[in-house]
Amino acid sequence: MSTTAQPARKSMPSALTFDLHGKCSTTKARASTLKLPHGSVPLPIFMPVATQASLKGLTYDQLRETGCMLCLNNTYHLGLKPGQEVLDAVGGAHKFQGWDRNLLTDSGGFQMVSLLKLATVTEEGVRFLSPHDGSPMLLTPEHSISLQNSIGSDIIMQLDDVIATTSPDHARIKEAMDRSVRWLDRCIEAHKYPERQNLFCIIQGGLDLELRRQCCEEMVARDTPGIAIGGLSGGEAKDEFCKVVDTCTGLLPENKPRYVMGVGYPEDIVVAVALGADMFDCVWPTRTARFGNAIVDAGTLNLRHQKYANDFTPIEENCECACCRSTEQGGLGVTKAYIHHITAKETVGAHLLTMHNVHYMLKLMADIRQAILEDRYPAFLRRFFSNIYSGDKTKYPAWVIGALRGVGMDLLSD
Amino acid sequence: MESRTSSSHEMSFTVLSSAAPVMAPRVGTLALAGRQALATPNLVPLTSRGTVPHISHDMVRKETAIKNFYVGLEDFIERKHPAPIYSVPVKANESPLKKFICLKNDDIVLLGSRRFPAIACPPNNTETSIAISTSVGFRQLESSRYIEAIQTLKPDIAIGMADLVIGRAPGLKRRGKMVDRTHAYTRDALDKLFGPSVTEGKPRSTNYFAPILPLDNAQQSIYLDDLAEEFRDRISGLALYESASLSFISESLSTLPRLLLSEPTSPHDVLREIALGADLLTVPFLQTCSDAGIALDFTFPAPPATLARSEAQPLGFDLWSSENTKNTSPLADGCECYACRKHHRSYFNHLLRAKEMAAWALLQIHNHHVMDRLFAGARTSIERGTFEQDVQDFNRAYVSDLPDRTGEGPRLRGYQMPAAGPNQPRRMPKVYGRLDDLSQKFAESESSVATPDTDADGLEKHGFAGKV
Repeated sequence: MSTTAQPARKSMPSALTFDLHGKCSTTKARASTLKLPHGSVPLPIFMPVATQASLKGLTYDQLRETGCMLCLNNTYHLGLKPGQEVLDAVGGAHKFQGWDRNLLTDSGGFQMVSLLKLATVTEEGVRFLSPHDGSPMLLTPEHSISLQNSIGSDIIMQLDDVIATTSPDHARIKEAMDRSVRWLDRCIEAHKYPERQNLFCIIQGGLDLELRRQCCEEMVARDTPGIAIGGLSGGEAKDEFCKVVDTCTGLLPENKPRYVMGVGYPEDIVVAVALGADMFDCVWPTRTARFGNAIVDAGTLNLRHQKYANDFTPIEENCECACCRSTEQGGLGVTKAYIHHITAKETVGAHLLTMHNVHYMLKLMADIRQAILEDRYPAFLRRFFSNIYSGDKTKYPAWVIGALRGVGMDLLSD
Repeated sequence: MESRTSSSHEMSFTVLSSAAPVMAPRVGTLALAGRQALATPNLVPLTSRGTVPHISHDMVRKETAIKNFYVGLEDFIERKHPAPIYSVPVKANESPLKKFICLKNDDIVLLGSRRFPAIACPPNNTETSIAISTSVGFRQLESSRYIEAIQTLKPDIAIGMADLVIGRAPGLKRRGKMVDRTHAYTRDALDKLFGPSVTEGKPRSTNYFAPILPLDNAQQSIYLDDLAEEFRDRISGLALYESASLSFISESLSTLPRLLLSEPTSPHDVLREIALGADLLTVPFLQTCSDAGIALDFTFPAPPATLARSEAQPLGFDLWSSENTKNTSPLADGCECYACRKHHRSYFNHLLRAKEMAAWALLQIHNHHVMDRLFAGARTSIERGTFEQDVQDFNRAYVSDLPDRTGEGPRLRGYQMPAAGPNQPRRMPKVYGRLDDLSQKFAESESSVATPDTDADGLEKHGFAGKV
């Protein structure tokens, strides 16, 4: 199976501009602005996941208020409900859900493989049995792109051959990487609106750095408007994850956005930014909100815990989200005790914490960006980890120390 | 047009327009010191654990006209006393209740002992307490503790405790007890809250709405006489539990605002209650419809175009219906609510099928808006003196029943349904103990994770994948 680039390749227009404003003088962190068809996005950015064209109970005006410029929809879910016919009839997902800022859609391959255990991947596409009537079905790169064209998202993702990074089968990992490259070519070919939708490739190759290098080389040659690093956040060791991100960003062009898919936790994001990544998405902040967990500087608070029943302080002191601001400051004056009172009992409890958590993640990204622009990202990282571990450096995870050391920063020094 | 005012230091209720003191529709203004004035007849929005269900507080403030809230104390009672709500730190004159549930100072809170509608509790009420349902099980709420709650939590309006029988008709002996106990609760509460009489000019800590039991006039005549005479100076309003009670309000009590805690089944019912002289009304079907995916769609007085139609119009429509799949029109033509300004029916249909919470949030906003408009229309119509005719026209223009529920709603909570007796089927499928892979996948498909709910042809039609 050859993966050598074809000589005559379809030219790849871009519907975005990427302006790099500054780089950290120590780590590989970068601050930039991504101009997309539905507005400018400051990078690095966290993208909340509105899986089924709705951000878990929030209205899109509430999402705007958190400052969000770019959120995700899942092609898999929108393909099932409401389906391509409805999306075409309504005129795309922006109109469908009433969101006039940017959308990114994944290809649907990840959900297909992780949710449908009976799916098998062949060269043609993902084969699966229709769960309703058992008839064999095939999801191809062309199907995925056609659906994403109907959705009309500002950034669309190629269909890739997803396998767990923890897979022990090296031959299968290589096959998946090579196949993802071939599918990228099919996606580029099938893409109908490159002038208004940006197709991102997805670097595969498991935890094998050599495979990742080959994949970067092949995919960079295809000159997509942006590049994603895929196949991570699947339960691999964190230091392995960091090595992959570090290796890939080292080979990727400076003038394109880099998106690490499915990440994640604040710690993972701040480290991945230091390793040179720009874009992140994860369902965790919104999912954990529904279970009563608030993200704060010191980590995560489980507000269902009895100790918060009589805690009448805001979720996070000095947080500027609509919940935490006091009534004097035009906010709602929500307290930990009130969230404790309603969480997991009233849907409003989920709405309020979702607002807080999304706001927290976006504010974190804005602070990261500001720190990079002012070239004080290492100091930011020191304070960030000190907050989480109450200043106790012996508790800092080894993978964080190692990853940052790899980009020239000693987290343990003052 | 006559104008009569019932006023205490903190609250005044002015009847602006009314044909007769009782049994007639009337327009009024309920004004509480430092609060937004409330035009009556008006809706009393119901809360659950201090929230208007599904609408987060910021949306309530920005996109609804809701400024009064019915709150049940049982929602805040925990295993140990005092519950957290009693320790909320507040400035002088702030209400700990409002602060806890994040309401603005000028919002109006009506505190009752129980949620509304309340579920029947297996334990019995006693001479000094009533049975309540809390998140930690059934408890007794002592009448003295309820009075303390009123004093500490400082609601704008406190609804007196009543001995009610829920879910069945009380027998003859029980009815006698209901009256005696409620009489005693009321006397006790008024003495503790205000002393034996109210001194003119002395500010009241709260406005007390005395309960009138859902019984015949004759059965509670001694109690009613006391309300009209001995208690009259200390009560600021009446809380009624059925519209029939509106017929025996005495002359002396007629200037008091009437809060009707009932469960009308349609807007026609609401209009009938207004016609009988109710000032503040509860409409539980509003949320029931939102949960069921039904958008209300009616206007009072009925517009000429609706009247001109030969067939009676539906009162709302079911957004689960596949007719809405591709429909990009708003929920109701010309509706100015947030949901209609921002979204179309196709999206609602999707949200409901995808079980996304936003469906219920947006429907609540719309349905509250429709109800607000009904009350505003009723006030204008009463002032104009055309109410009777307008109601007749409305009854002709619209069908008599709300649409039937077809789709699923949000997960029901314990406080929304009566406790299960012995040998009853489970109200929710078991969620633990499914260890085999197949049923696990089934469980996933039932919850957050989407699996196709169509067959291979459907998937192909959706462009999702092709058949091979």
